[in-house]
Amino acid sequence: MSTQTERENVTETGIHGPTSSRFDVLREGAALDDIEIVHYEPQFAVPGGKTERRVVRTIAGFFLLTGLAATVFLVAYIWWPWEFGRQDGAQWFTPILGASLGLALAGLAFGILTWGKKLLPREVSIQQRHTGGSSEQERRITGQTIAYLGEEMGIGRRPLLKFALPLGLAPVGLVAAAPLIGGLIEDPHKNQIPGTETPELYTTGWNPAYNGGKPVRLTRQDGTPIRPEDVSVGGQMTVFPGIPHGSSNEHADSPTLLIHLRTSDADQARAANHRAGREDWMYGDYIAYSKICTHAGCPASLYEQQTNRLLCPCHQSQFLITDNAAPIFGPASRPLPQLEITVDDEGFFVAKRDYTDVIGPDFWERP
Amino acid sequence: MRKRKFDRAAVPGKLAGEVDDRFKVATPLRGVLNKVFPDHWSFLLGEIALFSFIIVVLTGVFLTFFFDPSMREVTYNGAYAPLRGMTMSRAYESALQLSFEVRGGLLMRQMHHWAALTFVAAIVVHMFRVFFTGAFRKPREANWIIGSLLFWLGFLAGFTGYSLPDDGLSGTGLRIASAIMLSIPLIGSWVTSSVFGGEFPGEIIMGRFYIAHVLLIPGILIALISIHVGLVFIQKHTQWPGPGRTNDNVVGERMFPRYAIKQGGYFMAVFAVIAFMGGLFQINPLWLFGPYEPAAVSSASQPDWYVMFLDGSTRLMPGWELPIPTPWGHYVVPPIFWPTVVLPGILTVLPALYPFIEQRLTKDRRIHNLLQRPRDVPARTALGAMAISFWLVLTLSGGNDVIADKFRISLNAMTWAGRIGLLLLPPLAYYITYRICLGLQQHDREVLAHGVETGIIRRLPDGRFVEVHQPLAAPGHDGHADLEYSGWVVPKKMNRLGALGPAIRGFFFPIERPSEAPVSPAPQVTGTEGTQRREVESGRR
Amino acid sequence: MTSSPPAGAGRHRGLLARLRRPTGAPRRRSRARRRLNAGIRLVAALVLAGGAYAAFAPGISSAEDTPQLSTAAKEGKALFDKSCISCHGPNAQGVTDRGPSLLGVGSAAVEFQVATGRMPMARQEAQAERKPPVFNDDQTRQLAAYIQELGGGPQLPGDVPAMLAGANTSKGGELYRINCASCHGFGGGGGALSSGKFAPSLMPASPAQIYGAMLTGPQNMPVFGDNQLSPQEKADVISYVVTLQQQKDPGGFNLGRFGPVTEGLAIFLVGMVALIFTALWIAGKS
Repeated sequence: MSTQTERENVTETGIHGPTSSRFDVLREGAALDDIEIVHYEPQFAVPGGKTERRVVRTIAGFFLLTGLAATVFLVAYIWWPWEFGRQDGAQWFTPILGASLGLALAGLAFGILTWGKKLLPREVSIQQRHTGGSSEQERRITGQTIAYLGEEMGIGRRPLLKFALPLGLAPVGLVAAAPLIGGLIEDPHKNQIPGTETPELYTTGWNPAYNGGKPVRLTRQDGTPIRPEDVSVGGQMTVFPGIPHGSSNEHADSPTLLIHLRTSDADQARAANHRAGREDWMYGDYIAYSKICTHAGCPASLYEQQTNRLLCPCHQSQFLITDNAAPIFGPASRPLPQLEITVDDEGFFVAKRDYTDVIGPDFWERP
Repeated sequence: MRKRKFDRAAVPGKLAGEVDDRFKVATPLRGVLNKVFPDHWSFLLGEIALFSFIIVVLTGVFLTFFFDPSMREVTYNGAYAPLRGMTMSRAYESALQLSFEVRGGLLMRQMHHWAALTFVAAIVVHMFRVFFTGAFRKPREANWIIGSLLFWLGFLAGFTGYSLPDDGLSGTGLRIASAIMLSIPLIGSWVTSSVFGGEFPGEIIMGRFYIAHVLLIPGILIALISIHVGLVFIQKHTQWPGPGRTNDNVVGERMFPRYAIKQGGYFMAVFAVIAFMGGLFQINPLWLFGPYEPAAVSSASQPDWYVMFLDGSTRLMPGWELPIPTPWGHYVVPPIFWPTVVLPGILTVLPALYPFIEQRLTKDRRIHNLLQRPRDVPARTALGAMAISFWLVLTLSGGNDVIADKFRISLNAMTWAGRIGLLLLPPLAYYITYRICLGLQQHDREVLAHGVETGIIRRLPDGRFVEVHQPLAAPGHDGHADLEYSGWVVPKKMNRLGALGPAIRGFFFPIERPSEAPVSPAPQVTGTEGTQRREVESGRR
Repeated sequence: MTSSPPAGAGRHRGLLARLRRPTGAPRRRSRARRRLNAGIRLVAALVLAGGAYAAFAPGISSAEDTPQLSTAAKEGKALFDKSCISCHGPNAQGVTDRGPSLLGVGSAAVEFQVATGRMPMARQEAQAERKPPVFNDDQTRQLAAYIQELGGGPQLPGDVPAMLAGANTSKGGELYRINCASCHGFGGGGGALSSGKFAPSLMPASPAQIYGAMLTGPQNMPVFGDNQLSPQEKADVISYVVTLQQQKDPGGFNLGRFGPVTEGLAIFLVGMVALIFTALWIAGKS
């Protein structure tokens, strides 16, 4: 009530008063919002003086710079050669655009900021916050209103509705969730090839089921098969299952590293294989391990041919090839799965069967 | 009938009257125009985030005109010669097209990426400011929680955007994301195959990430940013303590014109910096990465900086697999689960609830509108330093292969340094920060009691040397000034007191010469003052 | 064994000279100049050393009965016995814990190791680093001829840069990404390997050096023999690497092509610092 009269007073005396300037009106109006302008002084002792003119010139300079830079942007955008690969300075296209746009915006920014900082009067205003909540009375009124809302609805008096409403609403909520869950959910254990034992999580492109039951050949990315002499001693080759789309993303879990070890290293690797009960998994000095890291699934392919370590570039897990690709450093906890290889009648590498270990990152139900 | 004269000066007033007749806006508008905002540079950090978000949206809309999130296989035959003839997804092809065949498209893409990095960086710096000054305290806990949600949404927006071009680097990131989902106990394999629509990578993930990146996440971001800014508006900004500033007022400038002009100018400045970076610094050169192939990877495969701490935690985690034998079979929790699911889980919940934790510990349930200087709350400041050092070790470890390579350090040594550093540095940071805070507090009290060091050494008759102090107030009954610490800067240099003339003006270099004729600030200084001043000046020459 | 006749010397010199010829980039030119300086100093040193050798050596060399070596190989042997023998042993048979046997590594390995300055090694460490070469082209060729005639092994094709003429760069890019990028990085900037080892940057490598590295698998690099990557495929890969080396970054300064690490650094050191300074200026008292 009191504010009401106060406002009227102001209206009477302040705004229509004979001596009030615009600033007085503003100051009175601000007071209505509990704002007091306690300090208000022009930046320049002499209006229109030398300093003021200098500041105005600076600001104008900034705005003109903006115009100039924006023009440069437009000119460059239209006439500068921009098609990639042209030798006549096309690589400068983006830098010129960025620099001219940045300059235009910076000119605008500093023009505006200098205006606000150097031309506008300095001021200090104080506004009251009215911290804390509403008044006790207001709280009580609203509280009572809400409480009466409950009474109006009469939920307390009608117990049947109390049960019926949630019972009715719960299935509606599920209706909203059902298509989302039901539509998205995919069984990770379903067979990749219907009718065969090829659960998605445990099957790779090396499964003979993809090749009509015949062992799958090791091939290059372009699908050509590999002979033992194709990989030099101390060499490694990324191989893919020799099936249709074998090197595509469809078989993202299949890339394998075929390594031709030195004889002494191969002996170590064979001995380690022997210890793990993997007789004849190597072919001669050749050994094949999954390229997909057992930690996070990156291709672990930084093969150091002298130390026989395989490093994964994503999280630096290191595997020792001569020790069944056991993890020797970093966050991986599981050796890389080994592919059992041999050479077929035509002299090309084949996988005897699919990986027996699960490829790629670990998960809860991994056997 | 006389022809009415058209009064141009009356038009705005008349128009305003018509508007107000309909919407009744005069009163609220006056309040908004005059609303007072406090002024401090650190209050502008959040604005960087707001403005860079606007730029992200603007450039992002441009990119959607050209980007096609399809995983359909195509053969590239575009402008970038070294990739011609390659089989790639349509998403990657369109990302290359908008970089090379859309005029100015590369600038837009780079600005989008830089603005995204700026957005998250500004959020983090802004959160540090809010944390260290206690701005999150009652009544602003809700806004703190919204702010931390905004960080994680920015994180998600960034990650989905990083994945969209389907290049070699983003595919590797996606692969790791799938491994993280896979590691969740019980439901991991189901979550992964549901998200990817089958086995990784499947064909649907780009479409899903795209709609998340351009609709769902930005939608939530815009909603939360509106609430965030709205709450700042309603609750009014906090302010530093100082003369005339109380818990119940705001001292500063009215919104119009000064505050708004500064904001507008700053928006342009943020825009300018991002335009400069977008044009001058190449970011994410995806044409070098090639299309995603599951067998191809690059050394130094990193996520963007705000995800790097998770990459670092993953790198530092030892390969500890948790076996869980049950009667139904043998189950495992893979090592990647802890640093990438549990740690972010903790990092989401714990900081978000920090205001309530602190409230419970300090039993302080009052309303606070005045900020605290970090030194005045040593425990909180030290805790923050601890968190920063923890985060810093993780982030550096996320790039440890690049550091190892470029500084010729053993990679394995970097990993071990990270592991040990992660355990040692945070407590050390806590202790050191705590001591520094106490030291600064002590110094403030000392200056209040004894005065400002003048730098003037006086030799006493008995041969001792003492430094002359300039008291800040008349000495009380015990010979010391009875000044109360008011939570704000204590002057510690003579020119702060106006003793050596006005403080030197100018931002980087002085605009004017320091005043030659100093004014003595306090009357109680003895008559030797003049001699001492001469000595100082002669020393300077 | 003596497959490299003296007539081949001129051809080799032409090849190496071409490899060294600066291709326009100022960076390369300065490196070439540095190399040249080092070369001149070395030649001077070698002339002195050669004089000393001429005075003392005949007695030693006549004591050994090496199979008939070509002239170039004889020169190479002389160099070997002075600079390499302490680690690789007499007749390049290797010294345990110091240097491996060089029998069978071929002239390609020698040309790679010596031309990139990796050999002779400064000291035993995790890995030999690229340095300004100690020997000039002729001496490198002589050393290579010696090792080739001792034990055989892979040899570089005559003119690697000429092979690039018909190379398929995008095919090379595909091969690069699957075989090379894992260690040398998508941008060719190199990367870290385990325990202090690293894959070097490909930026300073010449086509012949890249060819030699693929063919011989220096240090921890796997070998990519001619059956795995045919000479044509190698040329494709080299052509892609040359593209990486010469490509003008279309998006401005490339931040070293280190990826998100330097991008993250840039956003804080450049972007945020600029913005915070602006904020300080805005809120500063005028």
